[in-house]
Amino acid sequence: MSEELQVLQTVRLKGRPTTDQIAAACGLDSEAVDRVLRVQAEAGRCTRTHGRHALAPAGRDRLRQLLAAERAGLDQSALARAYEDFVAYNTALKSLVTDWQLVDGTTVNDHSDAAYDAGIVERLTQLHTAFREPLAHLAGLAPRLGRYPRRLSDALAKVRAGDHGWLARPLIDSYHTVWFELHEELLGLTGRERVHEAAAGRAG
Amino acid sequence: MTAVSRPASRETVALVLDGRTGLGADLLGGKAAGIERMLALGAPVPPAFVLTTEAGRRFRAASGRLAPALWARVPGLVRALERATGRTFGSGPDPLLVSVRSGAPQSMPGMMDTVLNIGLSPEAHRALAAGDPHLAADTRRRFAAQFTATVGVPPPDDPWRQLRLAVEAVFASWNSPRAVAYRAGRGLPSGTGTAVTVQAMVFGNRDASSGTGVLFSRDPLTGDTAPYGEWLPFGQGEDVVSGRTDARPLESLGDAMPRVRERLLDWARALERDARDVQDIEFTVESGTLWLLQTRAAKRSPRAAVRHAVALAEEGVISRREALTRVSPAQLDALLRPGIDPSAARAARILARGKAASPGIGTGVAVTVPDAVGEPDSGADGTVLARPTTDPDDVPAMSLARAVVTETGGSTSHAAVVCRELAVPCVVGCGTGTAAALRGRTVTVDGGTGLVYEGALPVRPPHADESSLAALAAWAADAPGLPVTAALSRWRDGHRPVH
Repeated sequence: MSEELQVLQTVRLKGRPTTDQIAAACGLDSEAVDRVLRVQAEAGRCTRTHGRHALAPAGRDRLRQLLAAERAGLDQSALARAYEDFVAYNTALKSLVTDWQLVDGTTVNDHSDAAYDAGIVERLTQLHTAFREPLAHLAGLAPRLGRYPRRLSDALAKVRAGDHGWLARPLIDSYHTVWFELHEELLGLTGRERVHEAAAGRAG
Repeated sequence: MTAVSRPASRETVALVLDGRTGLGADLLGGKAAGIERMLALGAPVPPAFVLTTEAGRRFRAASGRLAPALWARVPGLVRALERATGRTFGSGPDPLLVSVRSGAPQSMPGMMDTVLNIGLSPEAHRALAAGDPHLAADTRRRFAAQFTATVGVPPPDDPWRQLRLAVEAVFASWNSPRAVAYRAGRGLPSGTGTAVTVQAMVFGNRDASSGTGVLFSRDPLTGDTAPYGEWLPFGQGEDVVSGRTDARPLESLGDAMPRVRERLLDWARALERDARDVQDIEFTVESGTLWLLQTRAAKRSPRAAVRHAVALAEEGVISRREALTRVSPAQLDALLRPGIDPSAARAARILARGKAASPGIGTGVAVTVPDAVGEPDSGADGTVLARPTTDPDDVPAMSLARAVVTETGGSTSHAAVVCRELAVPCVVGCGTGTAAALRGRTVTVDGGTGLVYEGALPVRPPHADESSLAALAAWAADAPGLPVTAALSRWRDGHRPVH
């Protein structure tokens, strides 16, 4: 599996990540990530400001090439079917996160009702368990997704330990952040565009 | 034959409103139920009949057709309006025109169709023009435009054909995409259907002593006990309801016709007392005569909801416990956050409307690419990020933006979820083209109402110091178990909602 693709795609998904954030998401050590990013920077594909990496236009072009090559080698019809299955889990996760944030659809959850919050953590745990097998199937079809089971489990473990920011907080690898990156990967792997999926009510 | 499958008796399908039908809003629809209430009190209401929600149910069951047996009853009902007005439908020297309006059991403001001036045949037009060419021309212009937009074809000459097409279009508007989306967004049932109210037209565009307006029996924005209204001389109902900007304050009606204004305010008080709630009344003045067209419970701002509830309880109109049920947790929540100054909001231009996704107010220059969102320490003014949808690499920019606006997506979308976590105000689903339309403008985003205003509007602090709130919180102590009780006691104990 290409470390170059893995690293560039992680930079793209996270916007302006640090080396350590990329390493954690890719399952690589920081030295390996730095090595890849140095080569990319020399080729004008990456920039580094205040310790954060970002893609240059040449890097986006390179990433597009690598992703196209990856897609060409995958079973597209099996992936398309797997994506259809994912949609139902995605809807469940999104409504769960919304219930976490808003109590009756409009009122901000002030997290003063521990039983309400516990109910949602329980729903998340059940969803996670039910999604384990479809996710393993997806990783079998697209090996680059092999880090997602671990990343989702890590986030869930922190939520269950009482650290509730790991449910939906952006800019850290919370359950929602990782899930959303997975969704973005699936859109790319199956050649879909987010804006079309959003209009059809499956993403957004 | 079981009770369920037995056809409803005639009186529950189509009937003249007389204040004594004894039927509720479930059959009559909100509009006709309001007319019934007004008639029962003896208010000046143009005569009307209703095809009930039961008729609407049969219409939908027959795949969008009016059954011959139902249509056969309509001429008799129109005849009743002719007798009451002394006019003839669509003909004669003084022709009767009617409005055809939707009316669901629950209020769905602006979601379904209305057609005015039905009966304007060539003959009726000639008769009107003989008396007043201006009135005839103005009425025909409105009629042709509205009929075509609603029914989908230009109005035929035959007034009965006009009436039938309009009734069918209004029944069918129950299943229009915007009505379906409105119900889905609020969890309203889709099976109830709408009724159709047919009412004799009065002309707010007849002469200089005519006009149309809306009156709230108390101010629906600030919550003041003083009535609030708008008045449009030389206008018909839709002009004010649709928010045309040249409406004038109610005082200008008082300057022109002080007796009419006085009478209107008397009726507003009477209708409010009867309904035991603040009323939103649509009225028309025709040649100096006041007519009330409809009344309903007023939609109101969160602040007004609390102030009205407390005032009504203190006046003895409702109980203290009932006052607590007149305020929703969402309204309470909104009250304890900063908001846009109501008078500024009233005057401001609305540039976009979407779904309220993350509460709060944000002002800045709209940008459409994440890189254009200013760093907070750059000294630049704030920016509002407007995007078709958001994706993960937008998140750093979203965290720096004063607000986020998207074209597509609902309240569970990425933009909504992320903005709520970041406590950034957010409005989603404003429609394709919104981002480009906003780009470069200074805008104020209200993530609690889903509105995007032009310009930098003044923000008022939370209304947590509102004295009515303290009264309500004190009453909540004696009324455990109501939806707002917990939030009120928390607030009273000094734990404001955390955002």
